[in-house]
Amino acid sequence: MNAWLKTGILLIALLAFGAARLSYESGLHREFRAAGLMVPRLDIGSRGRIGQTSSAVALAGLRTLVATFLNLRAYTAFTDRRWGDVEQTFDTMVDLAPHTRSYWDLGSWHLAYNAASYYLNDSKLPPLRRREAWRSHIWKGRAFMERGIANNPNDWRLLANLGLLLTDPNKFPAFRDINASFAAAAECYQKSADTGKAPGFVHRAGLYALARVAGKEAEALRLARELYAQGPKSRTPTLRMLLFVLEAHENPSMNTELRALELLGPPEKAYAALAAHWQRSRERFPVFGVSSAIEALEKSLSIPKEKSLLGQALPPPPDVDDGFRN
Amino acid sequence: MAETTPAVEICNLVKDFRTSFRGRPLRAVDGVSIRILPGEVYGLIGPNGSGKSTTMKALLGLLVPTAGQCAIFGKDSLRVDSRDDVGFLPENPYFYKHLSGVETLRFYGKLCGLAGRQLKDRVNELLALVGLEDARDRRLGGYSKGMLQRIGLAQALVQDPRLVILDEPTAGVDPVGSRQIRDLIFKLRERGITVFLCSHLLEQVQEVCDQVGIIFQGRMIREGRLDDLIAIEDQTEIVLRDARPDLVAQISVLVAETPGTTLVRTGKPRTTLERLFLREIREEQR
Amino acid sequence: MKSSLSKLRKRSHCRRILVISTHAFTQLARMKVFYFLAIFAGITLASNFFDLPQHAGPEAVGANVLSSIKSWSLGAMTLFSVVLSVVATALLLPKDVEDRTLYTILAKPVPRIDYLAGKLLGVLLLVFVSLALMDLLMVLALQIRTSMVVAEQAAMASAMGYTPDALASLRAETLANGPNGSLQGAVLVVFFRAAIMASLALLISTFSTSTLFTTIVSFAVYFIGHFQADARDFYLQAGQAGQGGFSRFASLAVSLVLPDFQLFNVIDAVIEGQALPWLMLGKIAFVGVYYALFFTLASWFIFADKEF
Repeated sequence: MNAWLKTGILLIALLAFGAARLSYESGLHREFRAAGLMVPRLDIGSRGRIGQTSSAVALAGLRTLVATFLNLRAYTAFTDRRWGDVEQTFDTMVDLAPHTRSYWDLGSWHLAYNAASYYLNDSKLPPLRRREAWRSHIWKGRAFMERGIANNPNDWRLLANLGLLLTDPNKFPAFRDINASFAAAAECYQKSADTGKAPGFVHRAGLYALARVAGKEAEALRLARELYAQGPKSRTPTLRMLLFVLEAHENPSMNTELRALELLGPPEKAYAALAAHWQRSRERFPVFGVSSAIEALEKSLSIPKEKSLLGQALPPPPDVDDGFRN
Repeated sequence: MAETTPAVEICNLVKDFRTSFRGRPLRAVDGVSIRILPGEVYGLIGPNGSGKSTTMKALLGLLVPTAGQCAIFGKDSLRVDSRDDVGFLPENPYFYKHLSGVETLRFYGKLCGLAGRQLKDRVNELLALVGLEDARDRRLGGYSKGMLQRIGLAQALVQDPRLVILDEPTAGVDPVGSRQIRDLIFKLRERGITVFLCSHLLEQVQEVCDQVGIIFQGRMIREGRLDDLIAIEDQTEIVLRDARPDLVAQISVLVAETPGTTLVRTGKPRTTLERLFLREIREEQR
Repeated sequence: MKSSLSKLRKRSHCRRILVISTHAFTQLARMKVFYFLAIFAGITLASNFFDLPQHAGPEAVGANVLSSIKSWSLGAMTLFSVVLSVVATALLLPKDVEDRTLYTILAKPVPRIDYLAGKLLGVLLLVFVSLALMDLLMVLALQIRTSMVVAEQAAMASAMGYTPDALASLRAETLANGPNGSLQGAVLVVFFRAAIMASLALLISTFSTSTLFTTIVSFAVYFIGHFQADARDFYLQAGQAGQGGFSRFASLAVSLVLPDFQLFNVIDAVIEGQALPWLMLGKIAFVGVYYALFFTLASWFIFADKEF
C-alpha cells in the first residue's frame, strides 16, 4: 500500500479513536473526582516550588512519593526552625497529597503550636513584631487546617483538631472575637460528631465549646441534657458541672445547693468539684450559680468566712503580652 | 497434479527500493523468472549486491514485489500458508543467544504447530542430522559460526518442508564446516527435498546443484542445467591412470595425424585446494 | 513421516501467540531483569524506616510509615513497570530485525499479527509477574508493619484512657491504611498503565528506526499524556465559552492524539487511604484494554506490509 495513504489512514484512525474515548474519559474524570479518587491538578506555583525534576516525577503519577520526600525536607526545616520553609513545604505536600490527613495535621500543628511558641519564647525580634508573628502563625495554622477540612470534609479528626486549636486557652488572645472562635469550635466538633466516626469525647468537647458561647446557653443546655442522658459513661465531671451551670442560667432561682448535691455527689465532693470549676477561670467556662452553691456549701460544711474560696484571688487570665514584655 | 506444480515459480519479478525521499528508485531485481521443479537443487549465483537475497526475500513474502509474482508450490508468497512447506536459512543468521540448541529447535517447531512427543522426536532427529547432539544443551551464544549455520539449517527443516531456501549457507564458514553443510545438502537431495540456494562461491554451487542461474545487476543472464552450461562442447577429456609416457606419446602422434583435431594439453589433473586441505586434515586425524 | 507431521500440526493464533510470548518472556528473563527485585526489596525495607518523630498522640504513631511504604512501593512499581514496558518493547523488535531472527520467524507460517501480539504479551507477562512479586513483598512488609503500628497505638491509647469505641475506630482507621483490596486494585491500575505504554512503544517501534527513538518518543508521550486531560478540559470549556481559534484546535489535537494518563492518578488516592470500588477499577481496565487493542491493531496495520 502507498506509504502516504497508509499514514493518512492511520492518522484518521488515531483521531477517530481519540474522539471515541474523549467523552468517556471526561466522564470518568468527573466520576473519580466525585468519589475523591482524583487529586486536583498541580498548580504552576507548586510545580515551581518542588523543582523541575520532582514535578516531572510527580506528573508521572508519583505524587505521593514526592510528598514523602518533601516530608523529610519539612522535618529538617522544622528541626532547624526555618518556619517559612516549613510552611511552604507543607503547602506543596498537601498540593501533592491532599487526602493524607497527617500532612494537614502536622502542617497546622507546626504553624499554630511550634512556630507560634517559637516566636513567643525564643525569637530575638522586638516584642511587637514577635507578638504579631505569634498571632499570624496561629492564624496560619488555623487557615491551613481549614483548607484541610475543605479537602477532606468527612475526616472527623481534622475537625476535632481544629476545635482543639480554637479552644486552646493559650491562644485566646490571638483571636480577637473569642465568642466567635468558641462558636466556630463548637461547629467543628458538631460536624466531627456528625461524621458518625468520632468517639464520645468529641461530642462532649462540642458541648464544652458551645457552653462558652455567650447567647447560646439554651442550645448548650439541650446538648448537655442529651449527653447526660446517654448514661454514666459520658457523665464526666466537666459535663456534670456544665449541666449544673447551664441549668442555673436557665433558671436563676434554682436551688443551687440542692442541685449541686444531686449532680455532683456528697457535700465534700460537690464542693471540691465546684471549687475546681471556679478556679478554671482561664478557660472561660460559664460560672452561673457556682458562687451561690459554693456559698451555701461552705455554710453547711462550716468553712470559716476568711477561708472562703470566693475571697481568694483567682489565677490571672491568660495574657501572652506578659511574654512579650521582657 | 502435485508433481507438475513447480516448487518455486517466480515470474517477471521486479523490485525497486526507494533510496531517499526524492531520489530515483533503485531497481534491485529486474524481470527475474525462476522455475524450480520438486526434487531439484537450484543454485543462484552472482556477485554481492546482484539481487540474490532480494529475490529470496520476495519469494518468502518478506518483501512485496514491485511487479511480478512469486509462488511456492502454487501458493502466492504473500499468503501466510505459502510458508507451510518452506524452510529458510538467512545469510549470517544470529539466533537467540539465550536459547540452547534444543530450545531453538523447539521454539521454531512450536511456531510451525508441532507439539509433544512429535516435536521431541523431530528435534532429536534434526540434531542428529546436523551433528549437534553434543552441543544440544549449550547456549547459542557459545556456538561457532559453522555450528550456528548448522542449527540454522536444522531450524529451517523443523516442520519437514518440501522446499529449503538457503542464502549463502557457507559464508564465513571454514572448509570443514563448509563441507559438512555441503554433505547436508546432498542428504536433502537424497530425501527428495527441493533446495534453492544462492552463493557467490562458484565451486560449491558446481558441486551440489542440478540447475544454475547467474544473476548480475538484477537480471538473469544465464540459466540452465549445470552440466549443459559448463560443458565445453568442442573439447573431450581423457583421464588415464598409471599411463606410461610412451602411451601418452603414441596418443599425441595419433592426434597429430588426425586432421581438424588439436591437442590442447596433457599433464596431471590438479586436485582442488579444498580437497587437498580436507584430505590432509583427515590424514592428520588418523 | 511427512503426512503424520503435517496432519498433526495444530494451527491457531492463540497457540502461536503463546509460543512467541513465552519465548519473549524467557528472553527478557534471561537478560536478568528480575535482578531489580532485589532493588525493590531494598526500597521496601528502606521505606520502613521512614517514621519521623512528629506530633504526639496515638493516631500519629506510625502515621507516616504506612503511607510511605505504600507510596515508595507503588512508586517503584510505576517506575519499573513503565520503564520495563517501554524499553523491553522498544528493544525486542529492532533486535530481531538486526539479528535477522525475524526472517526465520516470518519465514515460518506465522502471521505478522501473531508475531506482534506475541511480543507484546511476552512483555506484559514479564511486567505482570514482576508486579505480582513486588506486590507480594509490599503486602508482606505492610502487613507486618501495620500489625506493629496497631499494637503500638493500642498500647498508647489505652494508657491515655481511650474508651473502647475510640480504640476500635482508631484501629479501623489504621487498618484502612494497611494491605487491602483497594491496594491490590491500585497495583492492577499500575499494570494497565504499563500495558498502554508497552503497546504504544510497540506501535512506535514498527515505524521507528532505532530503539533510542522509540524510547524517547514513548516517554515524551508518557509525560505529556499527564496533561492530556488539561488540554481536553480547555477544549471543552473553550467551546462553551464560545472561544475559538488556534489554541482550541491545538488543544483538540492534543486531546485526540495523546492518551489520558491522569486517570491513573487514582493510585495516589489509594495510597492516601481512599477506597477504589470494583466498578471504577473495571472502568480503568476497560480504558487500558481499549488503548492496548487500538495500538496493537495500528501496529499491525503498519507492520503488515513492512519490508525487511
